[in-house]
Amino acid sequence: MHPGAWLLWALSAGFVAISTTNPFYLLPLLGVAWVVHAACHRSGPQARSWRIFLIFGVLTICTRTALVVFLPDIQLGSVVEAALEGLRLAVLLTVFGTYNTVSDPFGVLRLAPRRFHEPALAAALALSIAPRTIAAVSTVREAQRLRGIEIGRFRSLPALAVPVLETGMEEAVVLAESMDARGHGRGRRTRYRPERWSRRSSTVALASAAAVAVVVWALLRADPSLAMSAFPITWPRVSPVVLAAVLVLSLPAWLPQSASERTTT
Amino acid sequence: MVATVRLGTDDNVNAVDFERVSFTYPDSDSPVLDEATLSLPEGAFVLVTGATGAGKSTFIRAVNGLVPHFSGGEFSGRVTIHSRSTLDFAPRALADLVAFVPQDPAAAFVVDRVEDEIAYSLENLGVDRAVMRRRVEETLDALNVESLRDRSVRTLSGGEQQRVAIAAALAPGPRVLLLDEPTSQLDPQGAEDVLAALQRLVHDIGITVVLAEHRLERVAGFVDLAVGLRRGEAPVTGEPAEVLDAVDSGPPVTRLGRLVGWRPPPLTVREARRMAHGMHLTAPPQLEVASPGRPLLAARRLRAGYGHAQVLDGVDVHLAEGEIVALMGRNGAGKTTLLRCLAGLHRPESGHVEIDSGHPVPGRNVALCPQRPESVLFAETVAGEVAATLKAVGGPGTVNDSMDALDIAHLHDRHPRDLSAGQRLLVALAAIGAVDAPVLLLDEPTRGLDRDSKTRLVGFLRGWAQRGRGVMLATHDVELAAEVATRVVMIASGEVIAEGEPGHVLGDSPVFAPQMGRVFGAGWLTPEQVARSMMVTSDARDDGRARTTS
Repeated sequence: MHPGAWLLWALSAGFVAISTTNPFYLLPLLGVAWVVHAACHRSGPQARSWRIFLIFGVLTICTRTALVVFLPDIQLGSVVEAALEGLRLAVLLTVFGTYNTVSDPFGVLRLAPRRFHEPALAAALALSIAPRTIAAVSTVREAQRLRGIEIGRFRSLPALAVPVLETGMEEAVVLAESMDARGHGRGRRTRYRPERWSRRSSTVALASAAAVAVVVWALLRADPSLAMSAFPITWPRVSPVVLAAVLVLSLPAWLPQSASERTTT
Repeated sequence: MVATVRLGTDDNVNAVDFERVSFTYPDSDSPVLDEATLSLPEGAFVLVTGATGAGKSTFIRAVNGLVPHFSGGEFSGRVTIHSRSTLDFAPRALADLVAFVPQDPAAAFVVDRVEDEIAYSLENLGVDRAVMRRRVEETLDALNVESLRDRSVRTLSGGEQQRVAIAAALAPGPRVLLLDEPTSQLDPQGAEDVLAALQRLVHDIGITVVLAEHRLERVAGFVDLAVGLRRGEAPVTGEPAEVLDAVDSGPPVTRLGRLVGWRPPPLTVREARRMAHGMHLTAPPQLEVASPGRPLLAARRLRAGYGHAQVLDGVDVHLAEGEIVALMGRNGAGKTTLLRCLAGLHRPESGHVEIDSGHPVPGRNVALCPQRPESVLFAETVAGEVAATLKAVGGPGTVNDSMDALDIAHLHDRHPRDLSAGQRLLVALAAIGAVDAPVLLLDEPTRGLDRDSKTRLVGFLRGWAQRGRGVMLATHDVELAAEVATRVVMIASGEVIAEGEPGHVLGDSPVFAPQMGRVFGAGWLTPEQVARSMMVTSDARDDGRARTTS
C-alpha cells in the first residue's frame, strides 16, 4: 500500500484516539491497531517492536493511575479518570507502533516535496530510532546474560544503557556518513519507481477520512458518548455511528493485497 | 553504461593523490596519518594493509573526505580525487566520483527494500528515471542479488547484506570504490565471488578499487598495488609482495616462504606451488589430540527456526574436555542459530541440549562471545570490564589473570570504546572468558583481527581447552580453523554434512581448504607444520648423503 495512505491511516486513528476517553471506543481501537499490525506488518526486527509499544502503553496506564493513588483525599472518580487518560495515551502509542511495523518511515520521506526534505529526513530518522533501539536492547541484554550479568537490578543499568546508547550513537554516525557519501542533499533529485496509488490505498484513505469526519461531527455536536463521566462513575453510552467509524479503521487488514503491489517480505 | 568522454585518461592519470597528509583525531595526541604522500593510479586494485589500529579505516575515509568532514580533528595536507580536493568538496559533492562501503553495511542502509536501496544514490544524483531503471537492473545482475530485490534489507544474512551494500555503492557508476573489510562477514565462496566481481569491474570499466582487509589469503591474489600503514610512520606503497613483507606477516604461503627462506616469499597459492615444485614432504602429521576427555556438551536431534523458517533440521553435535571444535558452512547455514540453542538463548522446537549433565545456563555453565562483541562493553576501563564479570559470577580468577590470558595487560586503563575493532574484541573476550564456564562458544571471532591479535586469540583458546574445558567456534576463517581446531563440523542447510579432523574435512574441499592444503595436498594445515616437515626431510636427505659418502 502507498506510504501516504498509511500515514493518513495512522493520523486518523491517532486523532480518533485522542478525541475520546470512552473505553468502549478506545478498546475496539486497540483491537483495530492489533488486527492491522497482525495482518500487514513487514518482516524483520521492527515487527517485534509492536509488543514493546504495547508494553509502554500499559506502563503509561499504570503510572498515570499510580500517581493519582498517592494523592491525599483520593476519590475513586479521579483514579478512573486517570486510568482512562492513560488508556487514551496507550492506544495512541499502539497506533504509532502499528504504523511503525506496517510502513517504512523512509517511504514517507521520499514523498516529501524537495523543500521539506531536510525536516522530513529528521522525522524519518527519529521514527527509525525506536525500532533500532529496541533491537539493540535485546541484543545487549542477551550478551550481558552470557557473561553472567543479569540486567534487571538497578545497579546493572549501565551494563544495558551504555552499550545501547554507544552503539546507537555509532550507528547514527555511520548512517549519516553513508547518506552523505551517497550524495544525500545534493540539489536536483529524481525519484525511482514511485509507489503506485492502488485502489486499496484509495479505499483506506477514504475510510480514514470518513472516520475522522464522523468523530469531528460528534465533537461539534458535543456527543456525550465521547467522554466517560467519572464524577459520578457511570457506564458511558455508545453511539453506533462512532463505533462504526472506529471499526472501519481496521479496513487495511481485510483488503487483500493486489498482485500488482510489491511485497516486502 | 553511458559512454562518457574522459579527458586525459592516459596511463599517468592518478585516481587519488595524497600530499603530505597528516591527521589527528579529536581527543588524541598522536597522529594516525603522518605526512602521508602517495598516489593511486586509475584502474588499480589497491589493498590497504597494516596492523589493527594502524589507521586503515581512517585512510579509506580520508579518500572521500569523510575524514575530516565528519570526524573532526586536525587535518593538514591535501587529498585530491580525480583532481577534486576533499577540502573544497564535501563527501556528497564527490558522490558521483567515489563510493564507500563501510565495515558494517547493515548500519549504513538507508531505505528498507533492496531495490530502493540500490536506487538511493541514483535518486540523489538526479539520474533520469529511464536511465535509473536500467542501471538498477544492471547492478542487481552484476552482484548477483536479483533474487533479493523485494526483500527488506533487515532480513538479509550478513553475506547478502554485504553484496547489496556493494551493489548500492556501484549503481551510480563511480570511478573509485572504497571498501572497509568487505569480506569479513562472508563465507569463503561468497568472498571469492565478491572479489571476482570487483576484479571484473577493474578490468572491464577501469574503476579504481581501494580496500582494507585483514584476510590477506583471500585478497592477495587479486590486488595489484598495496599501501602499508604503520602508526606514526610514512606509509609504504608498492607491489603487494614488497609491502606485505615490510608491514605484515602476510597470508600463510608468505609466512611459509619466510620460514623456509624462499626469496621473495610467495604471495599466492599459485606462486607457492611453483616454488614448492619437486619438493617431497613426509606424510602430513596426525593431529596429536589426547583422547577426548569427559563429554561436556551434547545436543541431539536439534530442530529450530524462526516462525515458518526452519533453520536447524536435526543437528547432533558434541564437545568434550580439551576439544576446540570449528563450526563451518555457508552464510545462513544455521551456525549462529545452533550456537544460540547451545547457549540456551533460543528454544529449539525439538531435541535437547545438555551441558555438564544439566540444562544450559548462560553465564554459568556456558559463555558465548557474540558476533558483535562491542555490545557487551560498558565500563570506563578495560580492567573494569573484566572486574564486572568477575563480580557478577563470583568467579575464582583475578582481573590480571584474565587480561594476561589474552596479553592485553598494557591496555589496563584504556577506555574500551577508544580501542580499535580488533582490540575491542580481545577485551570483550577477556570479559566473557572471565565467566570461567566449562563451555565457551564464539560466533565469528576474527572480524578486524590482525595476525598478531589472531595469535593471541589462538593462544587463549588453546589455554582454555588445555584446562579441561571445551571451545566451539563458528567461523568463516579457514586458516584459523586449520590452525586451532581439533575437530571441524561442517553444516549445510541446517544439517551436519561432515565431521572430523580438520585435515580430512577441510583438506579436499575446493572452497574450504586452507592454503597449505591447496599447495601440498589434503592434510597440511599450517605453515609451521610444513616448515617442520621440510626440515625433517632435508635432514634425512643430508643424513642419507652423509652415509653414502662415508
